[in-house]
Amino acid sequence: MKKIYIAFALLIGLTMNSCKHDDWFYRESKTTITDEQLWNDPNLITSLLANYYNRLPSLHGVFNTGGMTEIDDAMWSGTRDQNGRNDFQYGNDYGRYWDYGLIRDLNLSLENINALGGKLTPAQKNQFIAEMRFIRAFVYFEMVKRMGGVPLVTKQLIYDFSGDPTPLQVPRAKESEVYDFIYKELEEIKADLAPNNGVATRANRYTALALESRAMLYAASIAKYNSLMAAPISTAGGEVGIPAAMAADYYNKSLTASKEVIAGPYALYNTNPDKGANFYDMLNKKPVSEIIFAKDFALGTKVHRFTYDNIIKSMTEDNEASSAISPSLSLVESFNYLDGSRGTLKDKDANGNYIAYTNPADIFANKDGRLFGTVIYPGTTFKNNPVRIQAGVAVYNNGTYQLTTSAVLGGNYTDGQVWTGFDGPKDDAVDVSNTGFYIRKMVSDAPAASTRGTSAVNWWPWFRLGEIYLNAAEAAFELGRPEALGYVNTVRARAGFPANSLSALTNDIIRNERRVELAFEDHRYFDLKRWRIAHLVWDGTETDPNAVVMGLYSYRVVRPGHPDNGKYIYARVRPTRFRRARLFRMANYYSSIDQTVLNNNPKIVRNPFH
Amino acid sequence: MKTKFLTIIAAASLFLASCAEYDNFDAPELTLSGKVVYQGRALGVRNNGPQLELWQDGYPLKSPIYVYMNQDGSFSAKLFAGQYKLTRRPDAPWLQQATDTIRVNLTANTNLDVPVTPYFSITNETFTKSGNTINTSFVVNKVVQTANVELVRLYLGKSVLTDQVLRDVRIDGNVSSLVFGAPTSLSADIPDNLKTLDFIYARVGVKATVASEYVYSQVQKIALK
Repeated sequence: MKKIYIAFALLIGLTMNSCKHDDWFYRESKTTITDEQLWNDPNLITSLLANYYNRLPSLHGVFNTGGMTEIDDAMWSGTRDQNGRNDFQYGNDYGRYWDYGLIRDLNLSLENINALGGKLTPAQKNQFIAEMRFIRAFVYFEMVKRMGGVPLVTKQLIYDFSGDPTPLQVPRAKESEVYDFIYKELEEIKADLAPNNGVATRANRYTALALESRAMLYAASIAKYNSLMAAPISTAGGEVGIPAAMAADYYNKSLTASKEVIAGPYALYNTNPDKGANFYDMLNKKPVSEIIFAKDFALGTKVHRFTYDNIIKSMTEDNEASSAISPSLSLVESFNYLDGSRGTLKDKDANGNYIAYTNPADIFANKDGRLFGTVIYPGTTFKNNPVRIQAGVAVYNNGTYQLTTSAVLGGNYTDGQVWTGFDGPKDDAVDVSNTGFYIRKMVSDAPAASTRGTSAVNWWPWFRLGEIYLNAAEAAFELGRPEALGYVNTVRARAGFPANSLSALTNDIIRNERRVELAFEDHRYFDLKRWRIAHLVWDGTETDPNAVVMGLYSYRVVRPGHPDNGKYIYARVRPTRFRRARLFRMANYYSSIDQTVLNNNPKIVRNPFH
Repeated sequence: MKTKFLTIIAAASLFLASCAEYDNFDAPELTLSGKVVYQGRALGVRNNGPQLELWQDGYPLKSPIYVYMNQDGSFSAKLFAGQYKLTRRPDAPWLQQATDTIRVNLTANTNLDVPVTPYFSITNETFTKSGNTINTSFVVNKVVQTANVELVRLYLGKSVLTDQVLRDVRIDGNVSSLVFGAPTSLSADIPDNLKTLDFIYARVGVKATVASEYVYSQVQKIALK
């Protein structure tokens, strides 16, 4: 009996409880964020945008030490297991980029913010949408410059489980259509980006114009120079190759965008009277007036190890690897002399005898200031300390110089003076320059920047005014406009050349100017591609100083009683660790498309030569 | 007790021994070898340059097996027995012929000459040494009527691997005066760094504008001493 009572009471208790407090089960989760919450909260959207900005793609950019050593500007001198960078051919898939994951994330965000973001102010909403569309245009630009025309997907592709996947199989757009899409998007959003003006780390009006300037220049030069090839690279459907007739229009669009940026609030960084140091400061300091768009870093939250990877050997603050990037002699020689003559270094006279210089840096005297800002060469300083670059001594013996090097870095010769410097260069050595040069550009001089515990926080320049000037110069030159000359001279004046240093332009001048101004900023590979000269410059010839990364070793002369005693001579060398000349094949103008993509979507056309 | 123990050991060893059959493939054993030929003659190519592609149907995902060629146009690949399709890739000095695959039924070691259609062919090549000069005479034939010659070149090198990439001397021929089907001659001086060698190697190559690779003559070994 008692048991029945208890059971009865329990039953009543159970039923009474459950009626009223339904909402108890519908509390807001404290661990998940709903779509409605996300798309109505500007703070949450901003942090999502930070994720997208962080995923902006590059090939050799964003302090990609390894990538920078895969072209003719530098070789790899770091650990031996990565010596493949000195011994490779560009594979069929080199530079392949097919990131529809990121495109899908952006399309999803754009659809959701439109559908759900009702509580945002229209201004906020338009700005966020414009930023996402900017990032999407940026990603499509990265894809089109590596793969040619790609499928233009601007909304989410959702499978309907009907058993028929064909609606998801988007064919490739024409190469020109992708560039037109980028232009149209940027034109539409640039006004909405105005609230970000003055911010260098988010897309603003001028960032959109800068991307427009670069993208339209690429489209124009592909249209022009592809058609000038003996056999233009193209597909029947136009997925690759742009008709020559479209070049002028693209050049005009690029020039218009460049002019608008130049008329904007930016200025070439020009505060230090020492033009070499000024060029270095321009990328090492922040914020500066020249940077239009950058990827920023901050101590304690987000750092990079470019300085750890590449600091000059004798100034390392950490153990293990350093000094991976060794700039090439061909890069150093592409910096011209301030009197306008070609930058070829005068290491030997007309009779083939070495020219002796009093100081190690004298051979580099009167060069373009950007050489100092980009490369560390013998006789210069870093962090206000003299560098100790000296390959060895040259002992005069029986009418010739015998070049000898010490077994250890920093060793002294029998005369008690330096034999091989602490900074090398040393042939076939690890973590010390193999070419006689180190990189200075973007290697931070901040305290402890080369330690892994602290690391560096200088930022990565996506777009800067120097590039826009050169974009404008190239577009104007191609269009036959007179203002081209002024743009180049402005950039050169900042590098230490006298005002109006050039009186006429050629393609070679503009191209060389881009190489020296924008070295290590992820431009050269794509520049050579769009001018369609990559296969000529990197022709794989083992005796060609452009295809081979050469070095320049400095030696102290030991020749007692002769006026050259104690002076320095220089020898051109081919570093042992550099194994194979750069070979860019026709197939590399457009990377191959992954076989799984071709398997999944039969509408995708293969690229030429693949 | 002892029998039980033995049974367990016997069962365990049986269990261990029996797995090996299932989860390991044997290495491919059959060899497909051959060379690329035009009119019965092997074509010279760049080492590590042009490739052929093998495909196999019947699997859900496809991925090609690349077959690299030697300097003299020969190739070989280790394969499993089965049906393969061999295609002539682009990025080569011959026509792609993408839809014209060669079916290979591999049941035993097979030797297969792959006919290709080069844009140009080089015939009747002779190399002679006179003093410090290598003279060559050869005939360039047009095979694909729409093709144009971009470059005609003579190469000298230290090793049998002599081509556009690996070479010591390269001499450009005059393309505008080139007559198809008639002998063309080129000559190159032997540079100082090759003079002391016992042998050098010479070769001619022709590049069509539409191709990314050269078609070469076979490498000729020339005795210097």
